[in-house]
Amino acid sequence: MSLLQLEGLAQHFNVGGGLFSKPAKLRAVDGVTVSIQKGETLGLVGESGCGKSTLARSIIRLYEPTGGRVIFDGTDITHLSEAELRPFRRRIQMIFQDPLASLDGRMSVRELITEPLDILKIGTPRQRRERANELLETVGLSAAHAGRYPHEFSGGQRQRIGIARAIALDPDLVICDEPISALDVSIQAQVVNMLEDLQAKLGLTYLFITHDLSMVRHIADRIGVMYLGKLVELAPAAELYTRPRHPYTRLLLSAIPVPDPAVRKDAPPATDEVPSPLDLPSGCRFRTRCPLASEICAKIEPEPRDFGGGHLAACHHADESAPTTPITNPERENA
Amino acid sequence: MTELLNVTGLTTSFHTSRGRVQAVRGVDLTVKPGEILGIVGESGSGKSVTCMSILRLLKRQGRIEGGSAVFDGRDLMELDEDALTDLRGNEIGVIFQDPMSSLNPTLTVGEQVIETVLRHRNIGRRAARARAVELFEMVRIPSAATRVDAYPHEFSGGMRQRVMIAIALACEPKLLIADEPTTALDVTIQRQILSLIKELQGRLGMAVILITHDLGVIAETADRVMVMYGGMVMEEAPVAEIFALPRHPYTRGLMASIPDPRTAGEGRLSPIPGTPPDMSDPPKGCPFAPRCPVAMRVCAEEMPRLYEAGGPANRSRCWLMDEAAPARAPYNTEDAA
Repeated sequence: MSLLQLEGLAQHFNVGGGLFSKPAKLRAVDGVTVSIQKGETLGLVGESGCGKSTLARSIIRLYEPTGGRVIFDGTDITHLSEAELRPFRRRIQMIFQDPLASLDGRMSVRELITEPLDILKIGTPRQRRERANELLETVGLSAAHAGRYPHEFSGGQRQRIGIARAIALDPDLVICDEPISALDVSIQAQVVNMLEDLQAKLGLTYLFITHDLSMVRHIADRIGVMYLGKLVELAPAAELYTRPRHPYTRLLLSAIPVPDPAVRKDAPPATDEVPSPLDLPSGCRFRTRCPLASEICAKIEPEPRDFGGGHLAACHHADESAPTTPITNPERENA
Repeated sequence: MTELLNVTGLTTSFHTSRGRVQAVRGVDLTVKPGEILGIVGESGSGKSVTCMSILRLLKRQGRIEGGSAVFDGRDLMELDEDALTDLRGNEIGVIFQDPMSSLNPTLTVGEQVIETVLRHRNIGRRAARARAVELFEMVRIPSAATRVDAYPHEFSGGMRQRVMIAIALACEPKLLIADEPTTALDVTIQRQILSLIKELQGRLGMAVILITHDLGVIAETADRVMVMYGGMVMEEAPVAEIFALPRHPYTRGLMASIPDPRTAGEGRLSPIPGTPPDMSDPPKGCPFAPRCPVAMRVCAEEMPRLYEAGGPANRSRCWLMDEAAPARAPYNTEDAA
């Protein structure tokens, strides 16, 4: 059963413009359709400016979507009023990249974790304190930490506090926006393991947004690839890495640095100039960087096509076989 | 081959309100002409401070408390500010993580290249401008002849980093220090910048110190690798050897904690437990001992030295390399455990 469904979700912004000039339209998210099943982890990847973080903010209505629908657990929440939205707010929580920036430095850890409970008046003050201690244990800290302040903790510990706060209200969906990008390599695995444990224990559903293409393969069940506001490919994680259909996905995967000196790769020939989102190319937005681009790509914007097994790709040439990327075929490299 | 750079006993501390932070504690390193030395480490490991100390570009609270850094026959620690200014940007080029904060937003990018060329070369403005265009072509900025007149904000992140590389290479340095040059960039751009650095290194025959936290970047770019932790060198080896057989428990832990993009998916990750040491109060013995899965009693008490480890160019700072230590595969013996 799908917990979250996005139907043609769009988030356009007006940029610039003055008394006599019309503002330009920035299509940060431009018609994204995808659903997340209960208990699964959907990874969302793409380069900076592709709209993946904006998408998250539209789902939790930090922005008012300018088009399409957000359906959460069967209810269309796209245009609910703030009061109508309240019961849904506690069910969708978010974890941010920079825990220090997202935690109020003047609040103690206990206050930070009980704040969501205080606001919704859940339990007595004493129960809330106990709940805070319990949550600290759950994320691998201890009740002894409750009286301290965020600056007294390391980056990894702060992210644990952010996670404790996010799960305080027993949410169904947790949106993780680059949750490990700011952490040291040796700490990232600690946090990822904890997120997986919490998912199993609490039955959480994750939308995991990242630019780390190695970690997302590990944590996600399915992965969506975004480019300039569009979802260009969606597939089960292993399938995406072994049989990428979209040329952009292939480009991304071929660029992952592999921790093995035997696999040194050449730079892809593609240009690194991403078109301005204010002035998108006609037809397919990726065609200006695409090695397969042909006439039709400039004329008609490709719609997502189903290649079976839940594998969707929006490309006119997605059924053409392309050279496999080195990343996908370790056997061949070793041969 | 004689070394281009020979650093011994480098020790740097920061004097902050929280007391003395011992960022670099006796680092020895060498760079040979034309090689790429990768320095890998996490935040606070001392990798960036090591390089900023070599360049004598520390912030005010930073103090070099000992050591020497002999570059091409001169000890950088002994040079006066004028001599250093002559050297930086001329014989040693530098690129940083964030190109936007290193570029002057009020000057055209071309002007910033010309400035560097005029400072170090006895040529006229016209020739300097021609050199700027040539450099832009070398780092593959499209329409180089017109884009030299653009301002930094008109460039994408990847293009700005190309400008930084053009400035760093303007005087054909013997050594390029690149501190996390691709960390702020998207993965496709990262690949192109790394390829560019490697290509230019080969073409110009310069040496490179590449600082990064990314083992993938190290594996693809470096000739030799130095792993830092707690302000010290923990392990050093040629790139193929360190990935094939990492000797130090920290290096092993680091490699085990990252998912391999080719196979990731199955099983749990193996993180290193605990957190890096507080360098205002570092552990008495090995800085990694509190997190080490194979720590012995001596590790907490006494600092191990850098032992030779399986080859003349391989070193590991671990008590398990001591001849009195028990045999423990794979740390100090090749035999399977």
